[in-house]
Order: sequence, then C-alpha cells, then structure tokens
Amino acid sequence: MANQPLPLSQETLAQFNRSMSREAGLSGPPRRRLGSISTRRSSKDQSKDQPHHRPLFLRSMTVPSSDSSFLSPNVSNSHISMGKRFSFAGWHQGGRVSFSGLYLQQPIQEVYVENTYRMGPEPGCHFSASRTQQILQVTLDSYLDGVCYSPDSCSQLCQMLADLVLSKLKDVNPPRYKLVCQVVVGQSDKQGIKVASRSLMNPNTDNYTSAVYHNHSLFAVALVHGMYFE
Amino acid sequence: MQTCNLYYHSQTTFVVDEITTVIKEAVESTIGNSSYQHSKINQWMSSIVESSLSQLTKLGKPFKYIVTCIILQKNGAGLHSASSCFWDNSTDGSCMVRWENKTIYCIVSVFGLAI
Repeated sequence: MANQPLPLSQETLAQFNRSMSREAGLSGPPRRRLGSISTRRSSKDQSKDQPHHRPLFLRSMTVPSSDSSFLSPNVSNSHISMGKRFSFAGWHQGGRVSFSGLYLQQPIQEVYVENTYRMGPEPGCHFSASRTQQILQVTLDSYLDGVCYSPDSCSQLCQMLADLVLSKLKDVNPPRYKLVCQVVVGQSDKQGIKVASRSLMNPNTDNYTSAVYHNHSLFAVALVHGMYFE
Repeated sequence: MQTCNLYYHSQTTFVVDEITTVIKEAVESTIGNSSYQHSKINQWMSSIVESSLSQLTKLGKPFKYIVTCIILQKNGAGLHSASSCFWDNSTDGSCMVRWENKTIYCIVSVFGLAI
C-alpha cells in the first residue's frame, strides 16, 4: 500500500509538467482565466475539466513562473505531503478527488490580478466631455427628427435611444471608464419640467455631458456620466 | 467567516432597499405636501439632490454616486425615462424612486459605481 502512491506520482508529475508547459506561454491572461475556472469549479464536485485544476492548486502555493521545470521540485514536495492521505478508497468516498488521482483538500484560492500601480487615467485618455456632447447631439437630432410623441411607442423609443447612445459611446470610450447614460423623453405640452443631476465623483478624472432635443410634439434630454474606475 | 463575508458583501455592493429609503426621506422632507410652483422649482431640485447625495455619502461605502432628479408638473403630458450603463454588474447598481402628489411627479434615479 505504501508503494502505490509512487508510480502515480511520476504520472502526475508528467501530466502536470505537460499542462504547465502548455500554459507557460501565457503570463497575464491566465490569471483571470484561472480565477474564473475556480469559481465554476465550486458548483461541481468532479467536473470534466479536472486536469486544469491541478496547476491552479499549485499556482496558489508557489510564485507562478513560465519555467515549467522550476516547479517540478515543488510538485514532488507537495505530493509527498499528499501521499499520506491518498488511498484508492478515496476515489469512492465523498469529497473532492482530482482526475490525476490526488486528494484535494481545500478549495482553490481566488487568483487576484496584479497591481498596475496606476493612480489615474493616462494623459490623453480622459473622458472627453466635448466629444461626447457632439456625439449625443448628433444622435438625438438624427434619430428624433420628425418623430411624434405617442404613449405606446415612446417607452421603447426611449430605451432604444439609451442603448444606441451607449453603443456609440463605447466605441470612443477611453479604457477604465464606466459610463452611465440616461435618456428622458416626454411629450411637449404646456407643462413645466426640470431635470437636474448631481454626482459624487473625482473632478480630475470624471465628467458628464448632456444634450437636449426639442420639436413640436416631444422633447428629449440625454445625460451621460463618465466615471474612472480606479 | 460567513458573517464577515456577508458584511463585506453588503459594504461593497449596491443595496437597493437602503438607497430607496434614503431617497424617499429626502424627497418627502423637501416637497412633502407642496403644490407645483415654478418659482420654487430650482430650490426644490437643489435641495432634493443635495440632501440625497449627502445622505448617501454618510453611508460610507466605497462608491461614486450619480443622482438625477426629474420634477414634472401633472398636466396630462406623458414622460418616459430610460437608462443604460456600461459597468460591472456584480458591484454597481441603480435604483429609481418615483414619488407623486396631486400636482407633482418626482423621479429620482441613483446610480452607484464601485471604485
């Protein structure tokens, strides 16, 4: 019984090294990808992509490096500690067992993205209020030209406008900026209306713009805020 | 451990009920039983928006807030409001509070973006 873990350890080492060399080329993106796999894993005990979980477990223990051979001493060390608990009976009992045959004790730790040490947006990548205002005005004018207010269709029109404006702004949106777009469409009657907005934001990085369109039967107000995501 | 996680979760995500209560109080205290008066509109708007924002700040959460207020005179005209946002769904959120009395419609929308 004591000898049984040893042949498996060679197999698992080989498998691990193979999977590590596959991932060796990617350094940045796998951090996110591994994180997403870890959450998926929590909903299933033995999922089909078990082989991937092995490298995840060890990544959380060691400093990730692209050199796969570097990790093999660590693999053997961890395996020796696992070897005591491993037995064939573990396959059939409850709990988590990886496809490679190692008994996994603890859930995979969340993988965090590296710190970029960035304090603010890059120069030239700020939210441009003037450009956004132009886009808003052009969109409103072109979309609402000659449209009459009707209670049935205007709610859809309003939502469509909001989505349209957002999609146009996403193309010119600088990186790390969140957008909030609000559109108000109303009937042009003899009533008074006032729209006001105030926000708690960082004036160095965040900004807002608005555009108004008015014709004989309806009016529209579009309001866009751009917030930097720190 | 679980209570810690729950507390952390409530401190870093947008909780709609809490915000709704805060906003309703702000609106009630400003225009409670008033009728629409054109001369007072500016004052009401500033008051609603400022008091909402200051109450939201007092919650002490790591959020940037956008508060939009629409006051409409009840005259039979129709109004539609829609919003679309480009953000992180797991941490950011919005809520819209509608309030009315005999002569005024008031719509306050609050957007909270996690930093």
